[in-house]
Amino acid sequence: MELLIKNGVVYDPINEIRGEKMDICVKEDKIVSKVKNPKVIDANGKLVMPGGVDIHSHIAGGKINAGRLLRPEDGRKGAEPRGKLTRVCTGYSVPNTYATGYRYAKMGYTFVMEPATPPLLARHTHEELIDTPILDNAILALLDNNWMTMEYVKSGETKKLAAYVAWMIKAVKAYGVKIVNPGGDEAWGWGKNVNIDDSVPNFDVTPRDIIDGLAEANEMLNLPHSIHIHCNDLGHPGNYETTLKSFDVVKGRSNANRQVMHATHVQFHSYGGSGWKDFESKVDEIAKYVNAKKHVTIDMGQVMLGDTTTMTADGPLEYGLHMITGRKWTNLDVELETGGGITPFLYSSKVAVNTIQWAIGLELALLIKDPWKIALTTDHPNGAPFITYPIVISLLMNKQKRGEVMANVHKAINKRAILPSIGRELDWNDIAIMTRAAPARILGLDRYGKGHLGVGADADVAIYDVSPEERESKKIQSALLHAKYTIKGGEVVVRDGEIVAVPEGRTYWVNPEFDGESTKDMLGDLTGKFEKYYSVNLANYPVQDAYVPHPVEIKTKV
Amino acid sequence: MIITDVLCPFCGALCDDIVVEVEKNKIIEVREACEIGVSKMMGHERIATPMIRENGELKETTYENAIDKTAEILVNSLRPLIYGWSSTTCEAHRKGIELAEELGAVIDNTASVCHGPSILAIQNVGLPSCTLGQIKNRADLIIYWGSNQAEAHPRHMSRYTSFPRGFFSEEGRRGKKVVVLDVRKTTTVEVADDFIQVAPGEDYPVLSALRAILAGEENVVPSCVGGVSKEKLIELVEKMKSARFGILFFGLGLTHSRGRYNNVVNAISLVRELNAHTKFVIMPMRGHYNVTGFNQVCTWETGFPFAVDFSRGQPWYNPGETSAVDILNREECDAVLVIASDPGAHFPKKSIEFMAKIPVIQIDPYPNPTTELADVVIPSAIAGIEVEGTAYRMDKVPIRLRKIIEPNHLSDEEILSRVLNKVRERRGE
Amino acid sequence: MRVTLTPKKDFKVPVEAETIKPDNFAGKNKSEIESIALWHGNKEVKLGSLFDVKVEGVNKEETKIVIEGDASRIKRIGEGMTSGEIMINGNVDMHCGAMMSGGKIIVKGDSDAWAGREMIGGELVVEGNAGNYLGAGYWGAEKGMGGGMIRVHGDAGDYVGGHMGDGEIIVKGSAGLLPGLDMSGGKITIEGNTTLPGGEMKNGMMVIKGKVLEMLPSFRFEGEEIVDSLKLKKFTGDLVRRGSGTLYVNLIPGE
Ligand code: SF4
Ligand SMILES: [Zn+2]
Repeated sequence: MELLIKNGVVYDPINEIRGEKMDICVKEDKIVSKVKNPKVIDANGKLVMPGGVDIHSHIAGGKINAGRLLRPEDGRKGAEPRGKLTRVCTGYSVPNTYATGYRYAKMGYTFVMEPATPPLLARHTHEELIDTPILDNAILALLDNNWMTMEYVKSGETKKLAAYVAWMIKAVKAYGVKIVNPGGDEAWGWGKNVNIDDSVPNFDVTPRDIIDGLAEANEMLNLPHSIHIHCNDLGHPGNYETTLKSFDVVKGRSNANRQVMHATHVQFHSYGGSGWKDFESKVDEIAKYVNAKKHVTIDMGQVMLGDTTTMTADGPLEYGLHMITGRKWTNLDVELETGGGITPFLYSSKVAVNTIQWAIGLELALLIKDPWKIALTTDHPNGAPFITYPIVISLLMNKQKRGEVMANVHKAINKRAILPSIGRELDWNDIAIMTRAAPARILGLDRYGKGHLGVGADADVAIYDVSPEERESKKIQSALLHAKYTIKGGEVVVRDGEIVAVPEGRTYWVNPEFDGESTKDMLGDLTGKFEKYYSVNLANYPVQDAYVPHPVEIKTKV
Repeated sequence: MIITDVLCPFCGALCDDIVVEVEKNKIIEVREACEIGVSKMMGHERIATPMIRENGELKETTYENAIDKTAEILVNSLRPLIYGWSSTTCEAHRKGIELAEELGAVIDNTASVCHGPSILAIQNVGLPSCTLGQIKNRADLIIYWGSNQAEAHPRHMSRYTSFPRGFFSEEGRRGKKVVVLDVRKTTTVEVADDFIQVAPGEDYPVLSALRAILAGEENVVPSCVGGVSKEKLIELVEKMKSARFGILFFGLGLTHSRGRYNNVVNAISLVRELNAHTKFVIMPMRGHYNVTGFNQVCTWETGFPFAVDFSRGQPWYNPGETSAVDILNREECDAVLVIASDPGAHFPKKSIEFMAKIPVIQIDPYPNPTTELADVVIPSAIAGIEVEGTAYRMDKVPIRLRKIIEPNHLSDEEILSRVLNKVRERRGE
Repeated sequence: MRVTLTPKKDFKVPVEAETIKPDNFAGKNKSEIESIALWHGNKEVKLGSLFDVKVEGVNKEETKIVIEGDASRIKRIGEGMTSGEIMINGNVDMHCGAMMSGGKIIVKGDSDAWAGREMIGGELVVEGNAGNYLGAGYWGAEKGMGGGMIRVHGDAGDYVGGHMGDGEIIVKGSAGLLPGLDMSGGKITIEGNTTLPGGEMKNGMMVIKGKVLEMLPSFRFEGEEIVDSLKLKKFTGDLVRRGSGTLYVNLIPGE
């Protein structure tokens, strides 16, 4: 099967193509230099980009499903019947797996990273990914509150730690290492929390030690992605200092291909003030740091005003949110590993703090000069559901549009946010970087054919029916929400905003090679943990091949 | 041949440490499991072949015929009900949901007659919970409310709660307090430290009293609530507040007494409020080994956990209306497919009488009272013995069921998949 | 305009008929009304295939729909209606008047469960008895009824007015278990008896003119007051959540 995408205005930042009128050729599932007998897609005057890559979106797994179960009132929103090709769709902030696949594909996205899987529940995440159509995917394994990790960090046995990380990533068919409120969930096992320099109860390590230890192990294993961190102290006034301290932990490390730390949803970590009354944006400080350094990248975690469902592996945070709002709250602590919580949240334009949060996400994208350092996310569904991306993009591209929103929200935005003073408007190249090229590169997936349209890349292409000159927000939004075409693995999956094919997605997972001696020693310790403390047997723990029916295995070497 | 680390496909404790000895494709010994587990895994009388009822009698037939007859019944139905699911794999659940979508059927699982009220309560207030290993390692106060797990989940206490030694509970049973609340002295009481007898149907007011005391409003609480003295209630609240890590397990005694899902709302709220004082969690004692799994799959595929009505294309979820017993009692449906469960033994008389009047299809490894009602009977292989696949333990930990011996029958998934194909064929798709 | 619908047969499999509401009938002639879509089980059917339709009067007048005969297997009549009137001369099935925001529905017989669910305006009158979940919310939704008026001349089932935020419900007979659950506003009056009223109540008012068969142990007695010219006992609660709902009760258990 061959395709010729003719005369589109192509944005392919990895290959330094910046709005050039050109043709893109596709053969089977790859981009090629020429085709013989192609089906022609007329892209004249339309935007052509690599398929979107979401670096951080909670789309599958135990926590997400607990969110769906918690919110039938959200589930009934957006209910759509079964179609000829499509299964039923439900939900807004907690869409079912089918809606997730279709809606992303309609927005031109073809890869999504599920960023927080408790290893013990990894089978569940994979089961949901099997039922999430079209999207290629991968998962990050939560490895920071694990007893094994903390014990090795404390004893300084970095090689055994690396062996553990390698074994776990392979065992649960994950792509990389996720850190969420390091040490905080273990403390939450007793109803407590920690900050970066506090000692984790009973384990005698600090979150700082955990971050550093996992970063070292991550680099030792030469994993495609860096550590991916949700810092301590999320959501609290004055937390920007913790955030900067966390960034600083790994400043001495480097990697030739990429950052050594990816900090996620930094919007939730850029707060100043000593309490809710003087809560303010500290994006100036965060941006100053990120602009000056090479070792850290971030994603936005943009908040949009409206009702959503928050869900994170940060157990104490979700309880704190529930205590603020009094709304329903689910918690799931996972033995020896991690935790998690869920509570609905309304970001209200009438509430000063929420309005400032909305501004902060945008400020990050506008004050960080190099778009390669910041990926576009809403930390779906924490800041907002992913289907709000087109609105976020239209705000980033249009100062006047931002002004219109600011005129109708809480006045605190004028004093305690920076946004009103920012004139920058992003262009399509910036947007193409933030929504596909940068996330692919930060994840290390550019080397495996994602995020660009160079010869040999995966034939994942989005074509939007909007001229590059268009500035009207409504038109931009509707073009981005309903792609003219989305091509996934060389197959047209969306045409005129409708699903026309539903291939199954592939799962990227990393198989890290590591020194056998350390692995053997580590397995001795791990066996002990299973015999004494886990509630399942070690033999039943690793995720069987049946749960990854379309694997893309990436082997790494030390 | 000896096979280790086998899962017991019976109750929600989903023990995964069973050792099975197999000879000539027959299980000859089962070790580590409890008595019920052993007897289930050793197996008993099976349905040998597919059957179709003719002139009141079940006559043997082929899979082909039985599946075709099934498709015929379902395609001609205006409101088919598909029910069961708790004793089969998630892979079968997925096929079943697809079939229900395709047919415009109502799909429901046994939760609607056991922990359905718990799910409704969670939708109201949430569920502060954890995995069972968390309890094994940390809990020092274990409360069982309206749940006689000594009989229903025999190894629950020895594997996960009262008895094991954990990381922070090295003393094992000695370092833990076990309290039972129930309407009668169950066998669980024998291994408990304290028993509080609640008058039948009075769980809601008792829970309200506990919460009022916790909120510092003990003055308004009368001297006796639901048969429990105020002193006893105050003592229990103190016990809960001073625990380092508390867990409240609840069973059908709470979900099926007066007040139903609201009893659970009240219990969850109590636990939630205790978190202002200490660490406290709560967990429903889910019965069948994969009743939780169906709720999981149904939730991610449709947005809703059970009682999903696809008759209008998009799902409509409304337990009390779209739940199996309600549909049967109101005589709303005109055909029923029962799989991996036995409503013939467990449903109210009224429901069963109605089932006798409409076409019933049964898919199951074993003959049971539902077989008596069935017009088409399709035998299946036993999940977790003859078929591998996924099951979710009561705490939502997914584990893979093992295949121990070769089946002589089709799996549930395969049968459903063939039914789906026949349905499409009949509709000319 | 007055449209009379008479069911052509007894349905066992229920009909879903939120399209039967004045908003949808206004300005339509007989054949247009007959071709309105309804759901019968999993089949979409035309209204005319299930009902005889009679149209009287002129378009300009307010639309009134009259259902003659048994509607006890017709769900969702008047769901989401904003104006006009529906008269049901018999019993009606679930969700009658759910989410209505205006107009009036009169049910001459009994209504099944979820009548007036999530209603925000208008009036619903049930002259017979009402089933469970009268004027209640949807599963998981924080607010139930947000406005409007429901009157039941007979008895009501369990869970009257669950999660009610505003509006008024009057039950002339008795009500079942746990009325006014999680209520945060509005008013519920039960002229007969009921059991365990006001669980989780945050705010709003309940008046029980008959007897409370069982009281929750988490309400504070505040003294007696005259309400609707009756001397009633006043309670505040539900104290399980430091609620400030007001519960007026005539007779308490033991009286
Ligand atoms: S407790 Fe339950 S799962 Fe465990 S062996 Fe007994 S029946 Fe099987
Ligand atoms: Zn996140």
